[in-house]
Amino acid sequence: MAEKIGVYFDLANIGGGLDVQSLATEATKKWGDFIAVSKLVPELALAVTDIEADIAAQGLDGVLLCGASPRFDNELYRFKAQVEYVNLREQCVLSYKNPDGSAYIPAEVAPAPLQQLAQDYVHMGVAKLQKSSVPDSAAIEITRRILVLGGGWTGLTAAYEASSMGYEVVLVEKAEKLGGAVINMPEASPLGPTWEHKTATNLQDKIAKVTGNAKIKVYLNAQMEHLTGQPGAYTANIKTPDGTKTEAIGSVILATGWTALDPKYLEPMGLGKSSKVVTLAEFGKMLLNDSVKAKRIAFVLDTTLAEEAFAKEAAAQEEAQAEAPEAPEAKDGEAEEKAFVKADLESFKHLKYSNVVNSVGMLRLANSVCEKSHDGVQAFILYKNMTVPGILERFYKRMQDRLGVMMTKADVTNIQEVGDHMVVECQNTLLGDDFDLEVDLVVLPTGLVPTTAKEVTVQFDYRQGPDFPDLELFDGYADSNYICFPYETRRTGVYAAGCVRQPLTLDACEVDAKGAVLKAVQCLEAANRGVAVHPRALDNSYPVFNFVRCTQCKRCTEECPFGALDDDEKGTPKPNPARCRRCGTCFGACPERVISFANYNIDQIGSMIRQVVVPADFKHDGPRILILACENDAYPALDMAGMRRKTWSPYCRIIPVRCLGSVNAIWISDAMSKGFDGVMLLGCKYGDDYQCHFIKGSEICNRRMQNIAETLNRLGVQPERVEQLEVAIDEYDKVPAMIDGFVARITALGPNPFKGM
Amino acid sequence: MAQCTLKPDLEFSRKLIAAGGEDLKKCYQCATCAVACPLAPANAPYPRKEMVWASWGLGDRLKSDVDIWLCHNCGNCSDLCPRGANPADVMSAARNVVYQDLLEPKQIGTWMSKFSGLPFLFGIPALLWLIVWWIRTSFTNGEWFPTRADGSIVFGDIFYGDYTIDPIFMITFFGALFIICRGAYKLWQSFKPEGTVAIVGEQKCWLCHLWDVLVEEVILASHFDECQDGPKTGKGTPSRRVGHTILVWAFCILAFVTAVVAFGHWGGKIFPAIEITTPLRPLHLIKLLANFGAILLVIGLGILTVRRVLENKTTHKSSYYDWYLLGIIWAIALTGILAQCFRLAEAAGCAFFIYYLHLVFVWMLFAYLPWSKLGHFVYRTVALLYVRMYGRKS
Repeated sequence: MAEKIGVYFDLANIGGGLDVQSLATEATKKWGDFIAVSKLVPELALAVTDIEADIAAQGLDGVLLCGASPRFDNELYRFKAQVEYVNLREQCVLSYKNPDGSAYIPAEVAPAPLQQLAQDYVHMGVAKLQKSSVPDSAAIEITRRILVLGGGWTGLTAAYEASSMGYEVVLVEKAEKLGGAVINMPEASPLGPTWEHKTATNLQDKIAKVTGNAKIKVYLNAQMEHLTGQPGAYTANIKTPDGTKTEAIGSVILATGWTALDPKYLEPMGLGKSSKVVTLAEFGKMLLNDSVKAKRIAFVLDTTLAEEAFAKEAAAQEEAQAEAPEAPEAKDGEAEEKAFVKADLESFKHLKYSNVVNSVGMLRLANSVCEKSHDGVQAFILYKNMTVPGILERFYKRMQDRLGVMMTKADVTNIQEVGDHMVVECQNTLLGDDFDLEVDLVVLPTGLVPTTAKEVTVQFDYRQGPDFPDLELFDGYADSNYICFPYETRRTGVYAAGCVRQPLTLDACEVDAKGAVLKAVQCLEAANRGVAVHPRALDNSYPVFNFVRCTQCKRCTEECPFGALDDDEKGTPKPNPARCRRCGTCFGACPERVISFANYNIDQIGSMIRQVVVPADFKHDGPRILILACENDAYPALDMAGMRRKTWSPYCRIIPVRCLGSVNAIWISDAMSKGFDGVMLLGCKYGDDYQCHFIKGSEICNRRMQNIAETLNRLGVQPERVEQLEVAIDEYDKVPAMIDGFVARITALGPNPFKGM
Repeated sequence: MAQCTLKPDLEFSRKLIAAGGEDLKKCYQCATCAVACPLAPANAPYPRKEMVWASWGLGDRLKSDVDIWLCHNCGNCSDLCPRGANPADVMSAARNVVYQDLLEPKQIGTWMSKFSGLPFLFGIPALLWLIVWWIRTSFTNGEWFPTRADGSIVFGDIFYGDYTIDPIFMITFFGALFIICRGAYKLWQSFKPEGTVAIVGEQKCWLCHLWDVLVEEVILASHFDECQDGPKTGKGTPSRRVGHTILVWAFCILAFVTAVVAFGHWGGKIFPAIEITTPLRPLHLIKLLANFGAILLVIGLGILTVRRVLENKTTHKSSYYDWYLLGIIWAIALTGILAQCFRLAEAAGCAFFIYYLHLVFVWMLFAYLPWSKLGHFVYRTVALLYVRMYGRKS
């Protein structure tokens, strides 16, 4: 609780004719003893030393900076006191328009609604700070040892990189020797500049770097039995031929790679029907053993034949499932949690996902086989999508230069054995017509199925189960926010790299391994400091439970997107702060409101809501709308809109929240009883292409909206007064219209029946 | 079972690479070239499709492809190719390979395709004219470089027209004409698709089309302007119209002069009134015209040669075929002019030797014409005639 607050007004960033002196006076009048210092400074950035002096002299425990958005220059204002901001620039003056919708031309004296808006924000800022305190440290003793699961190309790279950063490594490999899939590869696509030539894999050197390293302990023929604890302080039980080994572990790199797609999925393309049809991985092995005798080889990269056959099957299955009556609930399953069963998520889709690896692989092997025979071999590459990522374009150029390599885009419509050769039927080709190709060997793509789709790789000892959550939504790939946070999984402290994350070429696997090591190290060191990894990097708050009132309803433990909360037999939550990413989804879920963060809690936001002056006369003074905006995407979008002079209704009051998942229904009741006419929840997109930084937050919020609607109905308030809207960070041009549209709908609804009560 | 079975032949690709298409494998079929080409028709444009056929070694398709003859080799496609595959060079190489295979005897085609064949090509006429020279010395009392009493030199004293030059060149000329006509016929047949073709719309007789082709394409060389007006490539492409037109006119004038002299000479034996005796007076109208033609030839050659030398070698490579033809014409022009100079200067040894070389080169030009790049005069005309008869302008 900040009790001696310094309020600073940044005159350089407050315009629009606002009476700043009046803002300061009103604040002091209202908050009296809490405000120890109140100053108007010409330019805040130049007043840093003055503020530091005030903190030292007056013993301030909170600083409120009124001016620009908190997203600007905040690295200047790291004080030995809590810092809060009041955004009077982007989301107040710059985005202000007159109540009648006309543009506001900055005047000498701000109009009353603008002054009121600013005054509300200042009061809300003081309330926020006043209800905020410094969290106790959640720092834990950590083990600086990284567990690498998988001893293939990625795992070996990761182990070596981690050790060279000074961390101990435990490497667990399922097979009897290291190397993984690369053992069977004759050569690699380029691993570095000039990115043009095939290169030796030098796998043995990579293995030697690991096996000869004192910091790396290797377990062969080994698998995970259990992973218990939290980042920084995990305990791994590893099943080895010599019994179970127990290792203290800090963080985990998941590099378990892939398994080849079931050959049945390639049957429509002739695999298994003729010995003249092989997969790319098999062909690589054949080339390694010098057993390729074919003179004409078709590399068929177009997998439509297989995809269509199985897509039809999948659709038929789905239809059958939809028609079948709902399976009756298991009789005794209601109280008991169902036993965990790993679903097999392998499907024909993995063939499509593997297109990059097969494109690059076919180019490489087609070139190799031509090179070996001095172009005595004709190698045809028949593709639908030749996908060569990034700089490997240079490799593609070089590979196609080979005389014997012939490529065309083609729809391969049939592959069959005729006499002593294979006939590949091609349609819609670049050669201008449909044709048959007679070949001695057909090479099909290899489907790379992530190991996570087939087996439980890590064996978490977590309340939410031993596996990664929601794998079925992502065809077995461990969920990760690919754009913003690659390597992340839904389990903090476990970072996926290599083909288990995405089918990748060897160079990309190396990059992945290095990236994942950096994340694993960051996570360890963050746990040691008691701060979050991402996206709230360095946040030192964490959920605190008031167990006295907890009803053991388990909502928080079930809804936490990261499985941070375990529980005991009774269902009392057991927090693991190092697993937590500080989104607040748990306290959004809690009906008893027993969960809070020291600097972000139910009471705090409720108090802020209550600071807004809601006029009784709806007709004359307009409605009041509360906007709870996600701080990750929606709040920056609003800032950007303001900077670009996009304006919205002056009746809105915006409160940033950590995630829509952290929105507790009580805030909506608070707003309604205060007299707000509508509440708008502005958050990230959810669904398949979700943009939520906490993966599930906006989705969970949307689910809770149903309960909220019921509550509102019971209270006699139209549920339409609360709406959740989705916005992307770059949609600053759309967000003002979204707000104004909502305000118009609320205005049409009329005043909140609780207004003035 | 579909349609046709492809039989790619890497030997054919190798031949193309050897004949100047060394970058053909670099093509990745983006079709920038087909868009860049100012001459390509909207329907099935070139040279994109030729590039993939070349890469796949589909010789049959390229040999029966009319489009390779329609290209004027302006190089816009090569300038704009994002991969440096130089489609213009590949088209030119395809033409060269077709010359090589179109005609009998094929051995000459093989010799024509590379520098190492040059000694054989040169050797044949060198030996032929040497034998003629040797035989004729028996008429000049064993004198290899005879001069008249007044010191003047008459080439006819050795290379007597009626019995040596005329019959040999007539046989050579009509022989080459026969071979090239057979080639043109074969080409025409190969252009035709299998089965019968129904042509819809207004039609003209083939002679009218031929007239159009000769006027628009040969005499005016209007397509060069279209090439010039093609898309902006950001690279200077010097006009080839001037040089090419001058060269064509020079050839026409020289052919006319030769025909007049031949006609006057042989016709004069029947109708003495039209007889023309050589050597002609320096101010004789035909002589003036001949010298004018020779000067034009040198100017045209000079322009074309300078252009090839100055060309950007990364996108426009001149192949051996290009240099062979230019070289032969240069040799003819220079030896012709030098021979006349030495004759007037009465330097017998030099004059006769140069004149001998002149005959060798002229024979090479005519005899090997069906296999040389100059054959494009006939083959391109055939191709243009073919497309016009099937409704295409170019």
